[in-house]
Amino acid sequence: MKTQTVDTTRWRFTNWIAGIIVTVALFVLPFILAKFGRTGEFWIWVTTEMIINALFALSLNLILGYGGMVSFGHAAFFGVGAYTVALLMKKAGVPLYLALLSAPFTAAIAAAVIGWFCVRLIGLYFAILTLAFGQLLYMVAFQWYTFTGGDDGIHGIPRPEFLGPVNYYLLCLIIFLACFLIMRMIVNSSFGLSIRTIRENMERAKFIGINVKRYQWINFIIAGAFAGLAGGLLTELNRFAQTEFLHWSKSAEPIFASLVGGMYSLVGPVIGSTLLMFLKIVLQQLHKSMVEMWAIILGLILLLVVLFAPGGLVGIFHRLLGKTES
Amino acid sequence: MSAEYYLFMLINGLSQGMLLFIVASGLSLVFGVLRVINFAHGSIYMIGAFVAYSLSTLLTGTSLASFLLLLLVVPPAIALLGFVLEVSLFRRVYREEHLLQLLLTYALVLILDNVVRMIWGGDPRNVARPEILAGSVDLMGMALPTYNVFILLVGPVIALGLWLLLYRTRAGNVIRAAVSYPDILGALGVNVSWVMTATFMLGCWLAGLGGVLVAALANVDLSIGMEKIIECFAVVVIGGLGSVGGALLGSLIIGVGITFFQLPFGRWALVFPYFVMALVLIIRPWGLFGRPER
Repeated sequence: MKTQTVDTTRWRFTNWIAGIIVTVALFVLPFILAKFGRTGEFWIWVTTEMIINALFALSLNLILGYGGMVSFGHAAFFGVGAYTVALLMKKAGVPLYLALLSAPFTAAIAAAVIGWFCVRLIGLYFAILTLAFGQLLYMVAFQWYTFTGGDDGIHGIPRPEFLGPVNYYLLCLIIFLACFLIMRMIVNSSFGLSIRTIRENMERAKFIGINVKRYQWINFIIAGAFAGLAGGLLTELNRFAQTEFLHWSKSAEPIFASLVGGMYSLVGPVIGSTLLMFLKIVLQQLHKSMVEMWAIILGLILLLVVLFAPGGLVGIFHRLLGKTES
Repeated sequence: MSAEYYLFMLINGLSQGMLLFIVASGLSLVFGVLRVINFAHGSIYMIGAFVAYSLSTLLTGTSLASFLLLLLVVPPAIALLGFVLEVSLFRRVYREEHLLQLLLTYALVLILDNVVRMIWGGDPRNVARPEILAGSVDLMGMALPTYNVFILLVGPVIALGLWLLLYRTRAGNVIRAAVSYPDILGALGVNVSWVMTATFMLGCWLAGLGGVLVAALANVDLSIGMEKIIECFAVVVIGGLGSVGGALLGSLIIGVGITFFQLPFGRWALVFPYFVMALVLIIRPWGLFGRPER
């Protein structure tokens, strides 16, 4: 027993060290990339999007990994955040910081309404209802041409002068780190433990007096708010919002990331989403045909993970460690 | 609007619904027995449509015989594809959690859809209707396409066939037993995993049949799989997952609903399936014909 506690503290220590090293490297990265001219600028853009996607994947993981709720409509909140920023900045002339602050709020409101219905269902029915609501929002954004621009989306969102590619990267990185730490706190709080209890055994959670639906609902709202923030950030990065942000194929992206990275940890989805996007960009840079081939490759990767490594990369890592220790 | 016009719309909506039923009943059957929601069902249906197109280019003429040949050959070929998929992939995840099953079928969507894109490209295609079905029927002064009437007739035939199969044959008894009590069925000496394979093949056969029928109804392109699978979800949710009778009712509601809502709402009518799906899930999650799981 004693050796185990020593082990875990050492583990925690190395985790912190690794985290700090990675963080410092991420802060230095854009300045190095900026020296490489146009390709460097391209990669700054790519890494910024990676950070945003990682935030999106993290947000889903609150309900998927920790809550055990399979949502196929998480893009709805990503999209609501995206359109909040786009509409506020383009049509109301609101400054960026206010627009970015509103994105998680509108997304949280959407999540509160949709989640109120969804948490009443479990398992597959929950998944299908989230899908239905997500697609409902998608269709509304698609059809309501005068408000959302339909499938043209909203283009030409203003960007403040001082936010060049490097500065925007840094902004996203800081927001991401803040969100990561907040989510870490949530996951390790008593609330987070209750959520995990519900995932492991809903009946028992009810039995020990946890208001299961209320907890799931709150968790759903928190996850939606973070997704909305990610959507807002991506809108400002691309300077447009489009209906694709709400589509169910967008909802699938963070699920893939969580699956590939590993679901029951905070870093898993981050690693998964970054790795998948890196692979996609590198393959597409290597050869043009890869743009069309990517979906097939992604499908094959998923098949392999589902069949042979359902724990994802983090699972493989732990298994390897377990083997070396024994 | 006159009453004839509404009748015309109703018949159009019903024929849309019947086509939807043929595809959705396959999804529902597969869910009932395998307990897996197959996202790839729409892609399999799409493959059916494109295979029918390719085969029709090989056959000369637009005779009824060559169309019947398509109807006879393509669905079994798609069922064979289903056999390969079930034995090599689906069978491995029955005991896994829902998420992994869903992701497996979603991975299949990504692969199959893009294989179709590579083979057939993105251009819209269709199968020429046989001459006897190409014209139109006169219905109180309105020209109703004969082919729509044909689909309207095929749907009930399939529904009746499925009902006879499920409730009047030993194979049907086994399938229904596999839905309700798979463990006991296994204990009675039935090889449940082959029942599952056979059911999956039947589901794919239905998807393939829907594919052939739609290829002669309208232009088909790469988007029809995704479109149809969402409609199918709506149908099986409304009717109750696993219930074929429910799938029939759900299909008719969706088919007629979309057609009628197009009058006042235009393209907003496409919101209708999602709306009904959400509504049913909220009020009666197990569907109109289904039973609560516990």
